[in-house]
Amino acid sequence: MIIAIVLFSLTELIGRFHPVLVHLPIGMLVLAAIFQLILLKQKTASLGPAIHITLLGGMLSAIFSATSGFLLSTTDNYDASLISSHQWFGIAVAVISIGAFILNKQQNKYTKWVILLLTILVIITGHLGGSITHGSDYLTKVFSSSEVVSNNTLRKPIANVQEAVAYTEVIQPILNSKCYSCHGVNKQKAKLRLDLPDFIMKGGKDGAIITAGKADESELIKRILLGKDNKDHMPPIEKPQLSKSEIDLLHWWISTGADFTQKVKALPQSEKIKPVLLALQSAEKNEEIKLSDIPDQAIEKADDKVIQKLKARGIAVSTVSQNSNYLSINFIAVDAISEKDLDLLEPLRKQIIWLKLGNTKLSDQQIDMISSLSALTRLSLERTSITDKGILALQKLTSLQYINLVGTKVTAKGLAQLKALNKLEKIFLYQTSITGTDWNELKKTFPKAMIDSGGYTMPLLEGDTSEVKPPPTIKK
Amino acid sequence: MSDHHQEPFKVTTPELDQIKKKWDRRNFLTKTSLGIGAVALGSLIGKNLLGKVAGTMAAEGSAASLEEEILRAIPHFAPKAKRVVYLFMSGGPSQIETFDYKPKLVDMFGQALPDSVRQGQRLTSMSSNQSILPIVPSIYKFNQHGQSQTWISEMLPHTAEVVDDLCIIKSIHSEAINHDPAITFFQTGNQLPGRASIGSWVSYGLGSDNKNLPSFIVLVSKNASKDQPLYSRLWGNGFLPTEHQGVQFRSGKDPVLFLDNPEGYDGADRKEMLDYLSKLSTLQNDAYGDPEVDARIAQYEMAFRMQTSIPEVMSTADETDEVFDLYGPDSRDPGSYASNCILARKLLEKDVKFVQLYHQGWDHHGGLPQGMAKQCKDTDQPTAAFIKDLKRRGLLEDTLVIWGGEFGRTVYSQGKLNPTDYGRDHHPRCFSMWMAGAGVKPGISYGETDDFSYNVVKDPVHVHDFHATLLHLLGVDHERLTYKFQGRRFRLTDVEGKVVREILS
Repeated sequence: MIIAIVLFSLTELIGRFHPVLVHLPIGMLVLAAIFQLILLKQKTASLGPAIHITLLGGMLSAIFSATSGFLLSTTDNYDASLISSHQWFGIAVAVISIGAFILNKQQNKYTKWVILLLTILVIITGHLGGSITHGSDYLTKVFSSSEVVSNNTLRKPIANVQEAVAYTEVIQPILNSKCYSCHGVNKQKAKLRLDLPDFIMKGGKDGAIITAGKADESELIKRILLGKDNKDHMPPIEKPQLSKSEIDLLHWWISTGADFTQKVKALPQSEKIKPVLLALQSAEKNEEIKLSDIPDQAIEKADDKVIQKLKARGIAVSTVSQNSNYLSINFIAVDAISEKDLDLLEPLRKQIIWLKLGNTKLSDQQIDMISSLSALTRLSLERTSITDKGILALQKLTSLQYINLVGTKVTAKGLAQLKALNKLEKIFLYQTSITGTDWNELKKTFPKAMIDSGGYTMPLLEGDTSEVKPPPTIKK
Repeated sequence: MSDHHQEPFKVTTPELDQIKKKWDRRNFLTKTSLGIGAVALGSLIGKNLLGKVAGTMAAEGSAASLEEEILRAIPHFAPKAKRVVYLFMSGGPSQIETFDYKPKLVDMFGQALPDSVRQGQRLTSMSSNQSILPIVPSIYKFNQHGQSQTWISEMLPHTAEVVDDLCIIKSIHSEAINHDPAITFFQTGNQLPGRASIGSWVSYGLGSDNKNLPSFIVLVSKNASKDQPLYSRLWGNGFLPTEHQGVQFRSGKDPVLFLDNPEGYDGADRKEMLDYLSKLSTLQNDAYGDPEVDARIAQYEMAFRMQTSIPEVMSTADETDEVFDLYGPDSRDPGSYASNCILARKLLEKDVKFVQLYHQGWDHHGGLPQGMAKQCKDTDQPTAAFIKDLKRRGLLEDTLVIWGGEFGRTVYSQGKLNPTDYGRDHHPRCFSMWMAGAGVKPGISYGETDDFSYNVVKDPVHVHDFHATLLHLLGVDHERLTYKFQGRRFRLTDVEGKVVREILS
């Protein structure tokens, strides 16, 4: 019994040397062919013994390789058709290398043709072997487009997940990226294939892997959920693992009956799975926060020269995000805004959506120059010298959603000039010249907007009355 | 002629000396190996980026270009918050007396904390030898406030008024149980000193819109008991370039130390001196390429600009009585928490990227009822006023406000338990903090603790998660803001952190 086990592991061990051994006959037999070629061109007699010795080495290593290859094929699960042709070509190489060695020894004139044949066989055998380990599309992959190169490329978002077919659009991509490399067309480890519905339901050498409707009892889910230290854990620990949402999706699909044709909306959905499904509608790693005040349509890149000029003036310019060409501009560090600075904004009028001119000495005359920035969604003009006259220039800023006029001399009448800006959502008017009943008027003028008048107070509480300190004396 | 053969073979030309200086052994090894690494990375990133990224990297072939690439990608997505103000309550405010309402504790007054709740949790040596760990409920009453009907302690009446603007996280938890590691962990993402603080990371990653003020400013309240120390490494830059460290503003005559010109020395002289100094530094740096020299030049220039910007921003002369009344009586006393809140608002108006206030005195191992009363009185009104003030100025839209300490406090009393006097020990397993403003859902509570406020039972938020969320709100993917130091890349969140999406609006 023990001997049998030892023998069995010994054959397995020898078999595993196959991928190393195979390189020897390839190298030696090809070298023999090269020597033969040189010998044909120039009759260097000294090469004769070299051919003899390389053929001998090639022959011996070919025999060992073929043997170890045969042993390996019995212990592991590979694509059967590829294996059988590789096996027969391998045996042919071994046999013909014996023939070549003998013919060469007898100085037969056909030796060179046999060696040529041998070389061709070596190439074919090598290629077949490579196809088994690296996949049959290994060579051709280089020529196909980059999407196909990697199985790990990001999943494309599904336009409407409820209308998608659950298996083909949700489940299959997961299996494709995480399972097919060992359980697909090329390899069927444990005799399991997951690339077609029939194979999935048939299971592997240990039986069915899916119990429709009972995800927790299905071998597929069990294996995925096994601890990573367990040798039966799938995918193998060194391979890319399934994400939490991928596991949830597989679990959901099996527990709803492992159906191959139904659409997502036809399958029952728990509260838990809904957000996971919904997430499929966005790109895989969707970190983007959607801000309502960034326009949806893409825009061309802003002129970098202009941006550099602005930056040189101490004006902060940045794109609103990595993938957007929309710009945010801040004049906070500029002491005296000149007309030249504002002129620079004009070429960027399509890109600028956030503009901060607050806490600067901006005047009514200057504000005219921003009236062309029609993409603006946010405009900060707090504590500037702007008055009702300047507000008039803002009438053209039809995308405006946020305007900050804190600490300016603007009145309700002046603000009424912006009545047509129907996208305005937030208006900040603390410390302005707006008084008393004007507020009610404003609410009517801008029914949809949130108008902040400021002037919040804190109620005096019992515990507050303690110590009132005198105001600090400020040295001038 | 005689023995020059014995001299070591050396070529010395001025050009070669230049190269030798710039590319000393260490420099050469770091820069060339990184250059090769960068090319390899470029090919990993993908074909479409290969031309751009690897091209520029290989051309420059230096570590700096890799850093530039990282920084150039920021913001990774559109930021909701453009500024952050972090009101740090140092010492560990009790969650049980502030935000985490536990009515069932009243019936358990004086009973021992069940082992099933504590689950062998380590205790500090201050209470681990107590014969009993007696449960003590909050001595203060709780009431529901706002449209959200959130339970808030009667000690925070003003905060209760702005509760509909707050997102209270009741399930934040930390790993450290003592002040130094806990506060270091909260401020830098690691319990051991040496990492960069949150503000430094933000300053490094996002810079500032206002070149006249530092991008990271720290204010420490003077009107708090200094029960636990604060030290400048909490706002230190760690391994990041030095100009990103927090600059502490003090109350009184000299808000920033050593900023003013010496007597009899005017601005023109100063400018001239700095120009020459900068030339000298540049000359030196052309040969050595040391980033610390760049930092020094930047610091001097910043200091010069601050000579004019600081007096303006520190002056409260323009503030109306209405503002002082809003923030409460303390606000007229420079250096107090209330006054610092006003100052913080002024700094935020000037687009300072990260302002951090520290208020000490929350470490109530004993005498908690009296201690909390004082602390709440000092901070409650200014904090609420701060929220209101930011709101009416349109700043809360894009400013993130954070309130919290380094850990919470135990449900059991440390030391002798009296009906009117008790203490609480450190408790890192769950405590409360809140965020408000840009990008955060207002008027919600997130996470739940058990009936003892001892363990998190729902939606835990780890310190790393908090950091990840903070950076996310600023438009930064916490996994992509890295800095290479001593052979590895560092992040604020180290190798962890998950954005708490449920609290994002």
